[in-house]
Amino acid sequence: MSVARSFRSVFMVATCAGAALTCYLVSLNVASERAALEEVETKIVLAQRDIRLLQTEIGTRGRLAQLERWNVKVLALSAPSADQFLDGGFQLARLGRPEPKLNVEAPVVLASAPAPHPQPAPLEEGDRRAAGAGATASSAAQLMQQASLRVPVREAIQPADPIMKPEPRKEQPIASRPAAKKAPATAKAVAEKPEKTSVSKPAKPAPNKSAKAPETKPAAADKKAGDKKLALASKPVTKPIRTAKVDPLAPLPASSNSKKTTRDSGTAR
Amino acid sequence: MNAPTPALVAPRPERLRLVGQRRQILTMMHQRLMFGLLVYAGVVALIVLRILYLAAFGDHAGAKRGLTVLVPERGDIVDRDGQPLARTIDAWTVGLWPGKVIGNKLDLARKLARLMPEKDEATYFAMLRSGKSFYYLRRRAAPGLVEAVNAIGEPGIALEREPDRLYPQTSLAAHVIGYTDVDGKGVAGIEWALNDKLSDAGTRGHPIQLSISSKVQQALEHELLAAMQKFSALGAAGVVLDIHTGEVLAMTSLPQLNPNAAGQGSPEARFNRATLGVYELGSTFKPFTVAMAMDAGIIKSFGKMYPCPNSLRVGGRSISDTHPFNRACSVAEIMKESSNIGTAQIAAQLGSTKQQEFLRKMGFLDPVGIELRERGRTLTPGSNWGEVATMTVGYGHGIAVTPLHLATGYAALFNGGVYRPATLLKIDRNHAVPKGHRVFSEDTSYKMRALLRLVVTKGTGKKADAPGYRVGGKTGTANKPVAGGYSQTRVVTSFAGVFPMDEPRYAMVVMLDEPQPTAETYGFRTAGWNAAPIMSTTVSRIAPMLGVRPDKNREPDMSTVLPFVHEKAEH
Repeated sequence: MSVARSFRSVFMVATCAGAALTCYLVSLNVASERAALEEVETKIVLAQRDIRLLQTEIGTRGRLAQLERWNVKVLALSAPSADQFLDGGFQLARLGRPEPKLNVEAPVVLASAPAPHPQPAPLEEGDRRAAGAGATASSAAQLMQQASLRVPVREAIQPADPIMKPEPRKEQPIASRPAAKKAPATAKAVAEKPEKTSVSKPAKPAPNKSAKAPETKPAAADKKAGDKKLALASKPVTKPIRTAKVDPLAPLPASSNSKKTTRDSGTAR
Repeated sequence: MNAPTPALVAPRPERLRLVGQRRQILTMMHQRLMFGLLVYAGVVALIVLRILYLAAFGDHAGAKRGLTVLVPERGDIVDRDGQPLARTIDAWTVGLWPGKVIGNKLDLARKLARLMPEKDEATYFAMLRSGKSFYYLRRRAAPGLVEAVNAIGEPGIALEREPDRLYPQTSLAAHVIGYTDVDGKGVAGIEWALNDKLSDAGTRGHPIQLSISSKVQQALEHELLAAMQKFSALGAAGVVLDIHTGEVLAMTSLPQLNPNAAGQGSPEARFNRATLGVYELGSTFKPFTVAMAMDAGIIKSFGKMYPCPNSLRVGGRSISDTHPFNRACSVAEIMKESSNIGTAQIAAQLGSTKQQEFLRKMGFLDPVGIELRERGRTLTPGSNWGEVATMTVGYGHGIAVTPLHLATGYAALFNGGVYRPATLLKIDRNHAVPKGHRVFSEDTSYKMRALLRLVVTKGTGKKADAPGYRVGGKTGTANKPVAGGYSQTRVVTSFAGVFPMDEPRYAMVVMLDEPQPTAETYGFRTAGWNAAPIMSTTVSRIAPMLGVRPDKNREPDMSTVLPFVHEKAEH
C-alpha cells in the first residue's frame, strides 16, 4: 500500500507523459500524411504545367497558319462543293453502281469459249477428268437456266458459275457454244492449237488449280472430302449443291478463277 | 531545574511579533513561488501546444506552398472552341552581371558573340567592361541557347525564368487579341480592354473565352490575304458576325501583325482597320436606304419606279451611275445595278431627319459597340446634313464608318430588324445575348432577303455567289477622299453579305483598301471584281464549319423582285 502510495505520483507523471506522447505521435502522423498529400498535389500541378507547356508547343507548331501553308504548298485541298454534300443514305446509295465489275468478268468467260473447238477433245478430257462430265452436257444447259432464273438480267451469272465449277463448265461451253457459234471447219490449225494448248498446258495446271480451288473452299466451309480424286469424281453429281453455295464464297475463288480464265483465254487467242 | 524554562517564561513581545512576521513572509513567498510556477507551466504549456499545432497544421521544412493550384501569371485567352489564343508561359531570360564576371572578359565576349550574333564581340566586351550592374542579353531565349550559355559556366551570366506572353497562333486574330508590353500589361485589343480581368489574381485562373472561331478566322484571313496580294491592296479588313447574337466569329485587319513581336510590326500593321479605321463604304449602304424607305412607307413594293437619267444634278453636284439606265427603273433594278441616281432619289424622299434617326438607331453615328478600346469615331455630315448630304449618305458617300459598323448594320437588317451591339465574348450561360432594340420591322427584314439575293444572282455581285449557300449581299466601291475632292484611282471596295439568304444566320463584310486593277479583272477595280470573289471563296470554306448545309434547291422567295427586273437589263 505504502509503496503504491509513494509511487503514485510517478505513475501519474508516466501516464501523463505517455498520453502526451501518443497525442504528439498522432499529430505527427497527421502532419506527415498532410505533407504527402501536398507533395502529390504539387506533383499534379507540375504535371499540369508540363502538359500545358507541351500543349502550347504542339499548338504553336501545328498552328492553323502553318497547316494552311502546307495545304497551299503540298496538299492543295479545297472547300467541298455543294454537290459533295448528300442528304442521306438513299442519295449515297444512288451513287453506287454494281455493274462494272461484272461486265469485266463477262467477256472473260466468252474468251474461254474458243478453247472448246475440239469436239472430239471433250471426249478425251472427259475420259481423263470425269466420265460423267460429257454425259451431263444436257443437264449443264439446264443448270445455266437455273442460274439465270435467280438473277435474270445479269449475264454476269455466267461467270459466277465457272467460279463454282471450273472444269465441267469449260466443257459445257466447249461442247455447246462453239458448236452453235463457230463452224467446226473454220480452221483446223486454230482448232489444233487450242487443242494442244488445252491438252498440254491447261490440262496439267487446270486440274491442279481446280483441285486447289475446291479444296480451299470446303476447307473453309466444311471439312469435306480431302481427296482430289473423290472431289473430281463427285463433281458432276454435286453441281446443283454447289450452285447453292456460290454466293457467300464468291469473292475468294473469283480471283483465282478469273486468273485461270484469263489465262485460258490468252492461250486461246 | 532552577533555570526558568522558556516555555514557562512569557516570550518577549518583539519575539512574538517576529514569529508572526516570519510566518506571514513565508506564506507570501509560497504564494509567489506558486504564481511563478504557474506562469512557468503556462508558458511551457503554450510552447507545447504551439509545437503540437505546428506539427499538425503548420509549416514545416518539407512543405511546398503556392503550387496547389495552377494559376497563370496572366489569364489565358481562348477561342470559342477552347483553343488557346494567348497564354503565359515561363520563358528563359539570359542576363549579364558585368560585376560578377570572374573569367577572361575578352574570351567571354567572343563566346557570347558566337552564341548570340545580334551583337558583335566588341559590343559584348564593352558591356562587360562597363560599370553597369545588369544587362538583358536575350529575353524569351530558346532552350538550346540557354543550354549553350549555361555551358560557358560563367557566374556573371544569369539564367532566369520569367513569365512571358505567348500567342500560339501567331498572327491569327492578332488585332482582336492584341498584345502586351514587355512588363506583361495589355496595350492593345482584348489584352488591353480586359487587362484588369486578365491580371487580377481572383479571375485570371479562368480563361477568357472569345466568340472568335479560329477556323473561321483562319479561312477569312487566308482568303483576304490572298486577295490583298492579288490586287496589290494597301490593306484589308473582314468581319464575320452571327446576326442573331452579335457574336463576332472572325475579325481581321491586314497587313498581318505578329503579336509575339508586336514591336516589329509597322504602325500600318498594328492599325485595326475593322474597328478603328473609318471608310466611306459606298453602295453597301444602299440596302439600308431602301429598307428605311420601306419602313417609312415610301416603298411599298420593289416595283416602284424612279426616273433614272444618265446623270442627276443636285445642288450644283452631279450624280452618275456606273451602269446608267437612262429610263425609268424599278427599285429592284436600282439595287441590282447599284444605281446611285435611283438611291439618291429614295433617300431624298426619306428625308434627312428620318435618315439620321435610323442611322442613330443602328449605331452608325457613334463609335462601334464592342469590347475593344480601338473604336473609331464615325465621320458624318454633322450640321451640314442637308438634302445633298442625305442623298449622298443614301448611297454611302459622305459618311465614314468602320467595317464592323457595316456588319452590325447588316445583322440588324436581316435578323428580323433588331440592332444588337457586336460582342467578342462567347455567348453562353455567363454571358447572355445583349438586349437589342428594333430598327426595322420584321416585314422589311424579310422582304430585303430577296432584294439582296437578286444582287448576287443577277446583279453586280455575281462573283460573290457560293453555289448552294444562298449568298446575298451588296457590292460597294467608294472613291477615297483626297485633298480637294475624291480620287478617281484610289478606291475602297467592299462586299457586305449575308448567308444563307433563305434563313439568314451570318453576316460578313470584306473590304479592300486601294485594290489595283489586274488583267484578270479587265482593268476594273470595282468591288464586283475584287471584293465579291472573297465572299464566295470564304463562304464556301466557312459555311460547312458553321453548320450551313449547301443546297442548290433552296432559295429565298424571289417572286417579290423578279417581276420588276427588266429582262434586257440583264447582261
